[in-house]
Amino acid sequence: MPEPILATRAASKVFGGLAAVNSVDMEMEPGQILGLIGPNGAGKTTFVNLVTNLSPATSGQVFFKRREITAWPPHRIARAGLARTFQVVKPFRRMSVRENAAIGAMFGAGGRRRSAREATRRAEEVLEFVGLGAEQEKQADQLTLAGMKRLELAKALAMEPEVLFLDEVMAGLNQKEIEAAMTLIRAINARGVSILVIEHVMKAIIGLCHHVVVLNYGKKLAEGAPEQVLNDPLVVEAYLGSKYAERARAARKPE
Amino acid sequence: MPTSPFDRLLGNRRRLVYGVAGAVALAALLLAPHLSLSGFTLTWLTTALLLAVRAQAWNFIGGYTGYAAFGNVAFYGLGAYGTAVAMTRLHWPFIPSMLAGALLAAAYSVLIGLPVLRMRGQYFAIATLGVAEATRELVSSPQLSGLTAGPTGINLPFFRPAGLTPLQAAEAGTRYFYLAAVALLVLVVAATWLLTRTKLGHSLVAIREDEDAAHMLGINTTWAKVAAFALSAFFTGLVGGHYAYWRTFILPEEVFNIRYTLDAILGAVLGGPGTVVGPVLGGFSYDALSTYLTFSKPFGFDLGQFHVAILGVFIVVVIVFLPRGIADLLGRRRFHWGIFLENIRKNRA
Amino acid sequence: MILTLGQSLVNAILLSGMLALVALGFSIVWGVLKVINLAHGSFIMLGAYITFTCWSAFGLDPFLTIPISMLALFLVGYGIQAGIINWVIRAPLLVTFLLTFGLDIVLVNLALFVWKGDVRSVSPAYAGNGFTLFFNPATEQGIQVPYVRLAAFAISLLLAAALHLFMSRTRLGRAIQATGQDKDAAQLSGVRVAPTYALTFAIGAALAGAAGSLISLMQPFDPGMGGGYRLRAFIIVVLGGLGSIPGVIMGAALFALVDVLVGISPLAPLKDGVAFAMLVVVLIIRPSGLAGKAFY
Repeated sequence: MPEPILATRAASKVFGGLAAVNSVDMEMEPGQILGLIGPNGAGKTTFVNLVTNLSPATSGQVFFKRREITAWPPHRIARAGLARTFQVVKPFRRMSVRENAAIGAMFGAGGRRRSAREATRRAEEVLEFVGLGAEQEKQADQLTLAGMKRLELAKALAMEPEVLFLDEVMAGLNQKEIEAAMTLIRAINARGVSILVIEHVMKAIIGLCHHVVVLNYGKKLAEGAPEQVLNDPLVVEAYLGSKYAERARAARKPE
Repeated sequence: MPTSPFDRLLGNRRRLVYGVAGAVALAALLLAPHLSLSGFTLTWLTTALLLAVRAQAWNFIGGYTGYAAFGNVAFYGLGAYGTAVAMTRLHWPFIPSMLAGALLAAAYSVLIGLPVLRMRGQYFAIATLGVAEATRELVSSPQLSGLTAGPTGINLPFFRPAGLTPLQAAEAGTRYFYLAAVALLVLVVAATWLLTRTKLGHSLVAIREDEDAAHMLGINTTWAKVAAFALSAFFTGLVGGHYAYWRTFILPEEVFNIRYTLDAILGAVLGGPGTVVGPVLGGFSYDALSTYLTFSKPFGFDLGQFHVAILGVFIVVVIVFLPRGIADLLGRRRFHWGIFLENIRKNRA
Repeated sequence: MILTLGQSLVNAILLSGMLALVALGFSIVWGVLKVINLAHGSFIMLGAYITFTCWSAFGLDPFLTIPISMLALFLVGYGIQAGIINWVIRAPLLVTFLLTFGLDIVLVNLALFVWKGDVRSVSPAYAGNGFTLFFNPATEQGIQVPYVRLAAFAISLLLAAALHLFMSRTRLGRAIQATGQDKDAAQLSGVRVAPTYALTFAIGAALAGAAGSLISLMQPFDPGMGGGYRLRAFIIVVLGGLGSIPGVIMGAALFALVDVLVGISPLAPLKDGVAFAMLVVVLIIRPSGLAGKAFY
């Protein structure tokens, strides 16, 4: 088994006594597409925030390319080659699409050797790659939701990451857009980028991931090959259980 | 860099238009002292230019970075005091003293910025307001009076080139301080223009638009914000130094007066924050207009005692009707009075 | 020494009531409208001058002028919110901040025009009276408790209690609370936002007016007196946590204690600087204030 490119050891995040992420051990191999799934509120986004240190871990360790990065500031982690997208998109609204992506190219892993002008050229290539080539001049807040999700991806890719975290990039997209996104993710992976996919769209998880980790109430519930994990009775219960509970709650709620 | 409404209006011709307009403006400014203008007019222009510089200096942190700094008067005061102390105690010439004052202000902004720039929004705004109050207290405190002469103030040497009679020196001084103000303006505009072409400039706008996203894209947000704050402090400090030598007497209550924060912000907001020329135009035209109103006695009404109140009224009117400044008007293809109502409708509860 | 400390403690307690009143109005406006009202200090100043005028021109007892101050500032506050601030309430932070600052400048200059810049004070015949605690006949010393400060303390707490009752027991108070917590949800349940905002702002201004009346009895003042109280109000609200009346009282007590202790230390001339340093420290360790978030 190759050395993992990214690993967490007993990573935990506690909010006011409640463990949103509870002692999670996770490993990601180079070149892998790793799925991170779990019901709503399982702690997936909190886990991403913890690894990228947007909100620091309460305890535990994070390793990236064999170095411990637990206490590194987010920008240092980003420059080391770990990029992410945000579930709730965060475009720089009053900048053009091109300028948005150029920021990633200026300050990401490959940023140090680029001038502002070279970064713009790099941004154009990446935008072409994610299918926003025709909309570079638009102001970012003029894009559709699908467009903004692509822009999130473009900003992250422009950083030339070795590991990419995709936090629900398919939520809210239609069937055709999901197909396109899957093709895109495979193409990125084919360029040698290891990818962590957080997704509720099971078809995408099965179609993309080499390995899947399931979180439930902040704890790792199961992991393994996608089909195997999704047939695990524990996982089914966590999903269906919570779904039934949700439905029951919805039914009780007065109009 | 995001395009300003001016840019969009001008499209591809913008480089040419900016170049020509800039050259004409600079030529006019440099010619002015030879036009046998009265001393009063030159003084009037000088204060307006100084406000243009301060508005543009505020623009680094307030306009580009989007941090509502309400304590820039601290840097103004420190620039003035740094210059005064260097000239009177160390007997340095004016320009090195002014630089020392500005560097003092910049160093202070780094010291203050490291904790204060961790706050966002309203907390940052009020914290900087507090910094300014505390700085004034510090400068006028008895502990520092050996250096600052506390509440008695400092007298600076007069501008007095060798071989001139006092009257000639006063006239030469008016021209000298006017040209020094023009030089400061050129410096600050050049610095802003250069900034918009660097990575730092891009990172500041990214921070303004979404700080978390900026951080995640690899921007060292702490460093970038402190750099913007220090630039703001440096240029504000230069103006403070200019003021001190020009006026030859400074007091804590005078150079730390909060209105020096407010008129700079008003100038920037009026002209369009986050642009290279907006704050300059806004600052210059606001100051020129308010001084004119104060001294011209419109309708035979002496407004002299309301000099500061005019600032307040201006703020209220501009904020209510044009919260995004004159740039908002110029950026539209066609003017109609409905723009004012539109702005109100958009922002009221 | 013990006597000095005891006196300081008594001073701090008496001061805390007045400071709570200074911060209370600022706090509800900030909490409900999300507007930092930089003209709050000027409202306090106006309250002081109303008391001064009623007392010096008409011989009214200063304590009886409190309702007059409150009513006058209630109207001023209502007018300013409904007529000016409400127009930009949804604009970015810089806008409301700058606007209230502009209003502050206008009010201060108006006061300078009407009352001139002289330092004034309100000193009725009973101003110097008080009683002494722990009087020691041997040294003829004890802890002084001036009647005026004691009364100001009591009135402040009374007004805080009245505000609490209003906010929790009346329909209007609940509408204000609901608007503060979620404006859109409140609107959906039938609360009209604009008048609610105006009412909240008016109550905030009325409380500032009462604070001004009380301050005029305790210390000399001029039209520029508001700036310091504005900063104090902010620090107290941050210390106590935005959105709770007990929090404001706690914050005021803590602030008063530090203020009085600094006052008898060599740092006395840097009082505001120390208060400000306290603010920065609190904001860095606990950005939501010492008491955390609550909502009236």
